[in-house]
Amino acid sequence: MPGESTSHVAGSQRRLAAILAADIAGYSRLMGNDEEGTLVRLKRHRREIVEPTLQEHYGRLVKTTGDGFLAMFDSPLEAVRCAIVIQQSMAARNTSLPPDQWIRYRIGVNLGDVIVDPDDVYGEGVNIAARLENLADPGGVLISGGVYEQIKNKLVCGYQSMGDEKLKNITDPVRIYRVLPDPASVARAARHHWIWVSSGAAALLILGGVGWSIMKPEPSVGGRQVSMAERPAAGPPGAMPAEPSQTDSSSAGGGSTAASLPGMPPTPPASGSALPIPIQPIPPSAGPGSKTPPSVVAAIPPPAKPGETSSGSTFRDCQGCPELVRIAGGSFRMGSDEDSSEKPLRLVQVAAFAIGRYPVTVAEWNQCVAAKACADVARGDNDDPVRNLSWLDAQQYAGWLAQSTGIPYRLPSEAEWEYAARAGSSSRYWWGEKMAPKMANCKGCGDPYDTHAPLKVGSLSPNPFGLADVSGGVAQWVADCWHPTYQGAPTDGSAWAEPNCREHVLRGGSWRNDASYARSASRSHYDTGVRYPAHGLRIARSL
Amino acid sequence: MQALLQRRITAFAILAGCLLPVGNSAQAQSPAPSDAVLYIIYPHDGQRIRGSFPVRFGLRNMGVTHAGDTTPNTGHHHLLIDVQEDIDPGEPLPTDRQHLHFGAGQTETRLELPPGRHTLQLVLGDAEHKPFKPMLTSKKVTITILPPRIRKAPQTSRAER
Repeated sequence: MPGESTSHVAGSQRRLAAILAADIAGYSRLMGNDEEGTLVRLKRHRREIVEPTLQEHYGRLVKTTGDGFLAMFDSPLEAVRCAIVIQQSMAARNTSLPPDQWIRYRIGVNLGDVIVDPDDVYGEGVNIAARLENLADPGGVLISGGVYEQIKNKLVCGYQSMGDEKLKNITDPVRIYRVLPDPASVARAARHHWIWVSSGAAALLILGGVGWSIMKPEPSVGGRQVSMAERPAAGPPGAMPAEPSQTDSSSAGGGSTAASLPGMPPTPPASGSALPIPIQPIPPSAGPGSKTPPSVVAAIPPPAKPGETSSGSTFRDCQGCPELVRIAGGSFRMGSDEDSSEKPLRLVQVAAFAIGRYPVTVAEWNQCVAAKACADVARGDNDDPVRNLSWLDAQQYAGWLAQSTGIPYRLPSEAEWEYAARAGSSSRYWWGEKMAPKMANCKGCGDPYDTHAPLKVGSLSPNPFGLADVSGGVAQWVADCWHPTYQGAPTDGSAWAEPNCREHVLRGGSWRNDASYARSASRSHYDTGVRYPAHGLRIARSL
Repeated sequence: MQALLQRRITAFAILAGCLLPVGNSAQAQSPAPSDAVLYIIYPHDGQRIRGSFPVRFGLRNMGVTHAGDTTPNTGHHHLLIDVQEDIDPGEPLPTDRQHLHFGAGQTETRLELPPGRHTLQLVLGDAEHKPFKPMLTSKKVTITILPPRIRKAPQTSRAER
């Protein structure tokens, strides 16, 4: 744990630290409206946003209070970055909810001399942070002059001076700055100061710009909802594979999976009232030269040698089940600097799992069709990758497979997919930086190539982990909801899910895309309930 | 259901007529009424814009539906950004950073493009994301995105790298 690697726990001692204090605006009102629901969401946010973000920024959670928390950092820069990431992540979560259910933090950051106990911190430095937090707008961040002096030339943000303020029970006046994550908003804030004061919502929606879409198409309010009406198969389904699997309860299982899945969400994010303003992404660890705590570095496995680890061994759970490759856990640098959607580059831990050696084939898919648990959309030969799938279709197949085998099959998380596709490499492609012949099935990537269809599975070289078809072919649905950047993404290898997610993530690019989409880090996205002929899936399961 | 059947029959008839090999995607294009018009309501051709902006899609004499719906004379929007190549009438419209799909039946979106000249064009796609016959495309709109305005305001400071 990076936070614990700093040694400030031995006895009560004084030290200089950046203190971050946060609490939830309108907590009692939220609790009054819906006590249990609020608590559940609060805990989830703590687990999924606050704790991972603190860890990413080398912060230590000192304590949690009913509606807030107190954290300390060695670096004021990291503390402010952390505050911004938390606010942006929370704003993104809120966009899908009505305003009266928004959970919004107020955050104050101060740099001061504090007394550190094993389970608490004391001193005026802490009190000032708490007062700043009290003064902050919901969704806003206030910092003291001391923090500002340390970060003003390092963190590209807007800082709006609020003047010197005499804080309650604090002897000297404290200079206060408001942090505006988008430098361009400085002028706006100054010109329309009342907007900030009168409506925290405006600030929140602007912050939400990063968490929500910049490039993402937003549906119109009048956009119709997708019904899962079945489409006719274009041709007769391929001959059934030899062994239909044991699927007594499967159709019910598959059906219920589908029924419980959210369709297109009824409430579009509030888009009309505020413009998503571009926000300078603030990578938590800036660039390759940035520091990484030793404890984390040690967790990186040596460059993958499949022969030495269990990675690479293949197995099948049942006859007719997709062939899986065992992947040993480890950590890796996920993402790249090539496209804004792939930033920030970050260290991600992945537990051991198994993933399909190939994308799911037409033959495998048609077993699910035969069990009446999947839509009859597959075309092509038995060993073609199944395609023309929506995310809901892919999810349905995973649900059916899990139900009929009793094994927890699922879609891979985006992190698992990239980890398996990279197979220990950090280059653009698993074989190196440049496209090479007979490696990928994409446009302009060389023969064999058919403009109308992907190659049969396993036609090209597998990667060192034994996975084939990770570059081009069919683009593969993963479990994660689409977010336009990795800002606030989990680092434990889990899927970044959202309720009523409108668009999900596809990885690997398709045969119809060019070489840049076949890179290991390349991400794309598509409407959750919409089928497209170049979209397929790869199955995974935990070990 | 009737619509489905109708479509399949039409598809079959055209296929048989052309003696095309029954490949994976060798399906007929959906017919569009001759008076159908696809157009971009906003932004206007030649417009200069700063920051993110909405794009509104207009369609006359046809209906907008979600992808996968084979009801005759309905389709869904695809927005092409800076696309120079011709559209292949027989293939589903590509999906990538320059070809945005609105398969849920959306009629507007919001874009954020880098400063400079850009072109926008709509193409209506059928249930399978293929262009109609005759192909329904909007006029290509050229816009100029202006660099973000930098203004120093009193009482504020901005840190620079």
